[in-house]
Amino acid sequence: MKEFDIEKLERKNIYKVPDDLFQNIQDNVMNEVKTEKKVPVFKLNWMYAAAASLALIFGATYVFNSDNDPAKDMLNPQSYASNMQKPKTESERAYETLEADLTSVENNNQTIANQETKPVSYTPEKGNENVTERKPVKATSKKEDTKMNEYLDSFSNSEISELASNSTQDVYLDLYN
Amino acid sequence: MKIKDAEIISLMQNPRTQEKGVRALMDAYQSRLYWHIRRIIVDGDLAQDTLQETFIKAYQNFHQFKNDSQLYTWLYRIATNEALQQVNKMKKMQKTDEDPEYYMQNLVADNTAGDAEEIQLLLQNAIQSLPEKQKLVFMMRYYDDLPYEEISKIVDMSVGTLKTNYHYAKQKIEEFIKENYEK
Repeated sequence: MKEFDIEKLERKNIYKVPDDLFQNIQDNVMNEVKTEKKVPVFKLNWMYAAAASLALIFGATYVFNSDNDPAKDMLNPQSYASNMQKPKTESERAYETLEADLTSVENNNQTIANQETKPVSYTPEKGNENVTERKPVKATSKKEDTKMNEYLDSFSNSEISELASNSTQDVYLDLYN
Repeated sequence: MKIKDAEIISLMQNPRTQEKGVRALMDAYQSRLYWHIRRIIVDGDLAQDTLQETFIKAYQNFHQFKNDSQLYTWLYRIATNEALQQVNKMKKMQKTDEDPEYYMQNLVADNTAGDAEEIQLLLQNAIQSLPEKQKLVFMMRYYDDLPYEEISKIVDMSVGTLKTNYHYAKQKIEEFIKENYEK
């Protein structure tokens, strides 16, 4: 090509354009515009701002002037140091827990001594004439146990079995009647 | 009925009629701005996004519009800025070993309609081979027929510089087409 003048060339748009291009663009822009309009703008009234500032100033003054202020104590290094305790070890904490448990048992009077001295008794109901009155049963001592064993040794096997059958019945009745 | 710029401005300045104003603005300028952006970016989807962004920016910043300039000059300025930003993003995404001119020519070929004439395709490739400023000046003058005074306001260049740029751009394009035209 020897001579060429672009001014003589037709002005054309040669690129492909999708259908509904401008409709889509308008819809997208309008959606964006509507969304932006919906976002509320928070305007602070100067009266409320002044009231809030005053409340904050008076509140802060009250807190800092009060004597029983724990925050004030915390700011004092000496009092802070005296209040501070060394952290307890795990074994120390376990010992304290055990000690507390034993103390709680003691408080409830559940010692062996209390159990031995207190006789177990049965009080029959009034008007029930068929029930025989029972004496209080005392807890047996070790000496009484050895005597009982010697006494039982003197019995033959057949006598012991007979006694055992009777005693079982007695225990059964004693427990469940 | 074609709505005048004065009416669009009046609608846009009133918060109650702003939405109507945006619609009128788009009806009046969407085609011109789209093709201005499309010739810079070439890619169809990105051109659509950029035009949308242009209108949203125009809506958001309409309070900055001064009545001493033309409405289309102000819109062209926003559109040009948005398009150039998009081109910069595209350049960053581009592979480092790829020739930018070759990349743009491929983009032109991919976006051209099947029935386009060879001379028109060559013209687009020639435009893409120009430096950025020459490209902008040439497109606004050649396709949109904008006066140099208005182009001067859009791209912040003197009228003399614009005329020189247009002259050089035209020369390069004609040489490019002479060299590459096969018929």
